[in-house]
Amino acid sequence: MFEFITPMYVFLIFSGTLVGIIFGAIPGMTATMAVAVCLPLTYSLGLDNGLALLLGLYVGGISGGLVPAILLGIPGTPSSITTTFDGYPMAQRGEGEKALRIGIVASLVGGLISLAALFFFAPALAEFAIKFSYVEKFLIILFALTVMAALSEDMLMGIFSGFLGIFISLIGVYDVTNGGNGEFRLIPPGTEYWLEGGFSLLPVLIGLFGLATILEAAEAGMPKGQSLKDIEVGAHSRFSRSVFKGQIGNLVRSSGIGTFVGILPGVGGSAASILSYTATKTASKNPESFGKGNPAGIMASESGNNGLTGGAMVPLLSLGIPGDATTALLIGAFTLQGIQVGPLFIGNNPGTWSSIVIAMLIANIAMFAIMYFAIRWLAMVVAIPKHILFPVILMMCVIGAYTINYGIMFDVWTLLIFGVAGWLFTKIGIEVAPFIIGFILGPAAEIYFVKSLESFGTLSIFFTKSWIAVLLWVLIAGSVAGSVMLARRKAAMKEAEG
Amino acid sequence: MKLTRRVILSAAVAAAMLAQPLVAAAQDLPRNVRLVIGSGSTGGDTYQAASLVADALAKQLGVNIKVDAVGASEAFKAVGRDKRGTTIMLHHDQSYLASLYGVAGSPDPFEGFVVGPTLAINPGNAYLVAKNSPYQTMADVLKAAEDGQKVRVAIQPGGVSEIGFSALKSAARATAPGSEENIVAVNTGDQADKNQAMFDGLADMINGSIQANEQFAELPDDDQKAMRFIWITATPEALEQGPEAGVGNMTRADMLKYASPETRVPRPNGEDFTFDKEFFLIYNKDMDPAQMETVDAALAQVFQQDELKNRLLEAFFIPDYRPLAEASAHLKEKRDAYAEIIGNLTAQ
Repeated sequence: MFEFITPMYVFLIFSGTLVGIIFGAIPGMTATMAVAVCLPLTYSLGLDNGLALLLGLYVGGISGGLVPAILLGIPGTPSSITTTFDGYPMAQRGEGEKALRIGIVASLVGGLISLAALFFFAPALAEFAIKFSYVEKFLIILFALTVMAALSEDMLMGIFSGFLGIFISLIGVYDVTNGGNGEFRLIPPGTEYWLEGGFSLLPVLIGLFGLATILEAAEAGMPKGQSLKDIEVGAHSRFSRSVFKGQIGNLVRSSGIGTFVGILPGVGGSAASILSYTATKTASKNPESFGKGNPAGIMASESGNNGLTGGAMVPLLSLGIPGDATTALLIGAFTLQGIQVGPLFIGNNPGTWSSIVIAMLIANIAMFAIMYFAIRWLAMVVAIPKHILFPVILMMCVIGAYTINYGIMFDVWTLLIFGVAGWLFTKIGIEVAPFIIGFILGPAAEIYFVKSLESFGTLSIFFTKSWIAVLLWVLIAGSVAGSVMLARRKAAMKEAEG
Repeated sequence: MKLTRRVILSAAVAAAMLAQPLVAAAQDLPRNVRLVIGSGSTGGDTYQAASLVADALAKQLGVNIKVDAVGASEAFKAVGRDKRGTTIMLHHDQSYLASLYGVAGSPDPFEGFVVGPTLAINPGNAYLVAKNSPYQTMADVLKAAEDGQKVRVAIQPGGVSEIGFSALKSAARATAPGSEENIVAVNTGDQADKNQAMFDGLADMINGSIQANEQFAELPDDDQKAMRFIWITATPEALEQGPEAGVGNMTRADMLKYASPETRVPRPNGEDFTFDKEFFLIYNKDMDPAQMETVDAALAQVFQQDELKNRLLEAFFIPDYRPLAEASAHLKEKRDAYAEIIGNLTAQ
């Protein structure tokens, strides 16, 4: 039954995980790219070994994003955005290594919980997933959008920034194949050739987080790198298991949210960590400490985005529908081998099913082993003098932007435009976090809103479609109320301080 | 050893001589060729067909061919920019159907490009109904429309998914003028969306494919996801070339029951509407014709051998090589036939 477990199989998982971590750790390169690059290899490797390699890349790629998110404040992948909120402040105060260890443990927990959900409940979860029509998916996106307020320094400015992000995300054509009218919109005349598909997410993301940070540092004058002494274990705060005390609920909840978002095709991986982070912040007794280096924030974000890995495999293996962009590529591995994925896949292919589950288990362990023991060297990145580090980051950002869509120069211009915009945003008070959340979720919100109305013909459907819709409205109302209370408390504290 | 200019030159000459046998097979073509495809997915049939053909072609020509899933719009732009033969495109009937349906940013490939050799057919394009649907045949669907019942069909508008829908409307109009108004499109997105439209009860019929939907047809009747095939648009000639065992539990004989002439969707001229989804190459119009001939000659050779043909058949593609000139004429004829169907409906 387990004859597929050969030295080659294990080697491919480990090497895939390592390469995936490297891809995830380079700003602008993602798990999706790692899988896309290696997909053609799977034909010659055979199905079990091919999947072993791809699943290693997938788990490694999702996990690697935490490294630059924590050490440099640049999310390696879109799903690591929320890791920057608390990881980077920790690194800045000399707790980079501790933050990395927290992130890696949380990633492992998220990966294993979602894998358990995949193994034990895949068909049942798929049955549940099909209860989510356009209406429920729109409400989940709306719920994720409400977190813009909770993640803002200034609520009003944060909401404005979020809406600006949505506005910018709608530039281009609302594609006919997505149910749109195919008309150009929000485009200055003469730019249709470049802006037909709007701005790509990755270049925008690394522009706002990567290039803008470099420009800010350049403006402030080049700081020196941190001393190696500062980042040694115990220099400021030693990592110990006690940091997870009282966080079991956070880890389980965040992993569960990640898994749940993963099983819903089309909602998108970024929503997983955003929702997990916000749920943890809202549930916290001390929400003000989030965004300033609270370890619970890293745990929520990382267990949420790794929770996605098992979740996204549920619709793929139970319905033949990929849960996210990377699992969409995994379908390629099956089709290249002539294997049908659909509702009977697990029953018809017990060997392949076992091979997938075991590959994901080993990949999670490999991810933990590789990253946990490499931390000491990874953390030294912050000790590299910035006049050397920043040009290297900039070069990687440019390469990442150019390659993300297989060599489109306009993506490099996008990176530069949004790098400068991000720098200007800090000057005029526009907040980057809600902006990027709006930018990521805007197109999906539009598609599901329009399709809901097209399908059901009335706005009341958003309230009457199902009990799930009602529950989501309760969550949305709770999120809005929580944000308002948080903003009031902040204002009161400012007043007291002032 | 000192690195003098002479040493470096000698090394370069040696490297060039070593590389010589590799390029000898394809002197007209660049050493590295980028095959951009009209789909942005690596999980679909376009990437699969492109991978299989690129692999065989690269071996035959002795060049590197890299398949890039950039999507139709970017693929047309990339080919349009490059007349050196470094970038060529592979796509299917969507390339001209999008233009016929007026999708923004979709050029007419017959105007600005050279539509090249055909490579393979995916005979899987199909329409399905829920297992408990009252419609057993396409005749039932047309009758329902004639009787004034709305038949909602989930499609992805603007291409391959829509052409069968247009043909169905056209058939309804020919059978009972005015009844075509009762065949209503539910505009969705990808296959997941189309399936979901059926699960939600928003569509009475969905566009799908044999490969993607066959397992749903095997589900028990009481399963909310259970579906039934009602129409396969491929020509019987294409299906008959496919493997006898078919796909999953659906044999070739089963498939033929849902295709013409067993299942009929008539065109205005009385013939049955059929649609074979054909994959073909598209070149920059200023690309050196000698390079196109080189590709044609290489394709002719690889399609004479069994390896590529068997790999295509294993993946449920029908080998369909036609040289450039013949393919171009064939596809133009096909385009004109579909333009007539779409034009008639639009004119109305």
